[in-house]
Amino acid sequence: MNPNSRSRCALVCCVFIALFSAFSFRLIYLQVIKHDEYAGLAAEKHVYKQTIYAERGTILDANNDVLAHNVPVETVVADATHLNDREAVVDLVGNELGIPTGQLAEKLNSERRYIVIKREVPESLATALRAKLRARNLRGIYFENDATRIYPNGSMLCHVIGFTDFEHHGIQGVEASMEEYLHGQDGYRYVEHNRVGQEIVPYRGQERAPRNGYQVHLTVDLNLQNIVENEIDAAIDEYRPKKATIILMRPQTGEILAMANRPNFDLNLRSEAKPEEMKNRAIIDMMEPGSTFKIVAAAAVLNEHKLRPDSTIFCENGLWNFGGVALHDHRAFSYLSVRDILIKSSNIGAAKLALSVGEQKFYEYIRRFGFGERTGIELPGEINGVIRPPRSWSKISITRIPMGHEIGVTPLQMTVAMAAIANGGRLVMPRIVKSITTADGKAISSLSPVVLRQVTSPETARQIGDALRGVVSDRGTAAAAAVPGFTIAGKTGTAQKVDPNGGYEQGKYVVSFSGYLPAERPEFVGLVVLDDAQTNKPELNYGGLIAGPIFSRIAEKAARYLDLEPHEEIRKAIPVERVALTNASRH
Amino acid sequence: MKRSHRKNRNAVNAASLARWIVVTAFLALAGLSYVYLTLQLYHLGERKKSVENELISLRTQNDVASVQIAALTSRSALQRRLKEGYLKMIPISERDIVRLTVPARQADENAIQPVVNEPTTR
Repeated sequence: MNPNSRSRCALVCCVFIALFSAFSFRLIYLQVIKHDEYAGLAAEKHVYKQTIYAERGTILDANNDVLAHNVPVETVVADATHLNDREAVVDLVGNELGIPTGQLAEKLNSERRYIVIKREVPESLATALRAKLRARNLRGIYFENDATRIYPNGSMLCHVIGFTDFEHHGIQGVEASMEEYLHGQDGYRYVEHNRVGQEIVPYRGQERAPRNGYQVHLTVDLNLQNIVENEIDAAIDEYRPKKATIILMRPQTGEILAMANRPNFDLNLRSEAKPEEMKNRAIIDMMEPGSTFKIVAAAAVLNEHKLRPDSTIFCENGLWNFGGVALHDHRAFSYLSVRDILIKSSNIGAAKLALSVGEQKFYEYIRRFGFGERTGIELPGEINGVIRPPRSWSKISITRIPMGHEIGVTPLQMTVAMAAIANGGRLVMPRIVKSITTADGKAISSLSPVVLRQVTSPETARQIGDALRGVVSDRGTAAAAAVPGFTIAGKTGTAQKVDPNGGYEQGKYVVSFSGYLPAERPEFVGLVVLDDAQTNKPELNYGGLIAGPIFSRIAEKAARYLDLEPHEEIRKAIPVERVALTNASRH
Repeated sequence: MKRSHRKNRNAVNAASLARWIVVTAFLALAGLSYVYLTLQLYHLGERKKSVENELISLRTQNDVASVQIAALTSRSALQRRLKEGYLKMIPISERDIVRLTVPARQADENAIQPVVNEPTTR
C-alpha cells in the first residue's frame, strides 16, 4: 500500500469515526440526558391514569329496606385521536344515544383525547352500542363504568333522604349530611394503551383499589313512614292546607321514626321539583306554636315549686287587660287549677303562670326546652327559630309568649320539647341516623342516644303528663285525638298565621297537635301541623278537631304496628261531633 | 500429492464445536423462551382483562337485579299493586290477636280516665 492510499484510508476512517462519534453522542444525549423528558412525553401519549370510581353507599331504613341505591350506568367518552372513521362513528353513536348528529360531529371535530359524549347511559344500551362498534370495527369510543342514584320509594321520605348532584355529591338531606361516609374514595390505575387504544395489561402501573361508600342506616321505620305518608296525603285531600308536617319520634332515644312534609317531590324526578317542594319544613320552617307551647309555662311553674298542679288561678272570666292590651280566653273561666289551664287551654291562665316565674326564669325554661337552638339532628339546613331575650320583650310579651305567640319554633323543636315531657324531663337530641356500616355489615359507627339536659324533674314531667292526659279527655280540647284502647297525652295548638306585612292574617290558622302514646309508657311522640287548613266549617278550624283526629288515626295504626297492647277498659267512645260542640277551642 | 492433500485438511475441534453448539442452542432457547414468555404475558394479560370485564359485567348485572328487586319491593310499588288489586290485605281485628303477656298496670293510671272517639271515617 502506497502512502497516498494509506492516507486516504485514514481519512475515511476518521470520517467514520467522527460520524459514529456524533451518532453516539446524540444517542447518549437522547437516551441519558433527555431520558426523563422523552420518557414523560411517551408516557403522556400512551399512559394515562384511569379512575376507578368508588360506589356510593346505600341508605337503608331501620329494617334494612333500601331507601337510596345505585344503578350501574356508563359514561360514553371519545378519544378524538383514536377515531378511525369519524362519520361512521357520528352516525352510529348519534343514532344509538339519541344525540343530533350535527351536535355530536361538532363535539368530535377536535383532537382532544377526552370528550364526554353522554353520561348515565343505561347498561343495556351501552352493551348494544359496544357490540355495534366492534362489529363495524370503529375505534375511539370508550365506556366508563359509572352509577346513578335511584330512590325506590319515589317521593316517600324525600326531604329526609335528599339527593345528589350529577357528580354524586349529596346536596340535600341525609345524602348531604352523611356525604363523608356515603361518598367513599375513588381508586386509580395507571394503564398503557397500544396504537389502537387497547390496554396493554402487562404494562399496568401503580394501582389503588377504591373504597366504596359506607351504608347509612336511618332510624326511620318505613312502615311507620308509610302510615304517616298515607295520613298526610288524606289530610291534604281533605283540608287542602298550604303546608303540612308530621313527625313521629321515640322519646327515650330521640330516634325519628317518621317524618313527612307537604308539598313534596319525587326523588327520581328531582329536576322537575320546585324549590318550595324541596324544603324539609320540619326543620327549616318557623311557626308560632300556639297553645302547645303552654307546657313550657306550666313546667316552669311546677318545676320551680311556685305552684302545685291543683293550685288555682283566677282566669278573669275570659278577659284580662294587661299592659293596656286585652287578652282573651276562648271561654270564660273563673278559677282554674294549673292542670286545668292546660286541659282547658286558658291563655290568661298560661300568662299568669309565666308571670309567676318571672321573665328571666321563663326565658331560661324556654331555652332549656331547646327552643332557640338547633336540635342537632343529622340533617342540613336546620334553623334555630326565633326566641328573643327578655331585654327585647315588650311589656305584654310575658303574656303572649306562654300561649305560643311572639316566638318562632320549628316543628321538630316542638316535638323534642314534648318528648322531654314524655321522657321524664330529659331532653334528648333527635337522631335520624342509627348506624353506619360497611357493605358487608361491619359496624363503623353506631350512634347512641344523647341526653342533652334534664329540663324538669321527673315529678314535674309526670304532673305535666297527667294534665296532658286530661287534654285528650271529654274535659279537654283534644278528645278527638283519642285512640281506642290507649291513654294519650297531648296538647292542641291553633295559632293565627303571621302576616309577612305585619300583624296576623284573618281567618288563617296553623293548627297542630302534639302528643304521645301510651301516656304511661310512651313509645312514640307525634306532632301534626297543618298550615292554613281549609274546612267547610271555618268555625271548627282548630287543632283539636283537625290535627287531633289525624294524630289519632296515625297513633292507632302505629300502635297496632308496634304491637302495643290496648287496655280493654278504655273502650268507651264519644262521637267526634259531640267533642266538636263541647270542646271547640282555638287552643 | 497425497501428502499435501492431507496437509491442507482443517482439523475440526470437536470440543470447541460442541461448546459453540451448546452456547448457540442455549441462546436460541433463551430467545425462544423470552418470546414465548412475553407472548404468554400478553396472553395472560388479555385473559386477565377479559376476566375483569366478565367480573364487572356480573357485578353490574347483580346491581341491576338488586335495583329491580328494591324497586319492585318498595313501599310505593307494593302500594300501587295493592291499589291495582294484585295484592289483598285484610287487617287483623283486635279480637283475633291472642296476647300471652299480661300488661303491667300502674297505681295512678286511673287518675284521669280518658275517653276515646269512635274510629273516624274520612
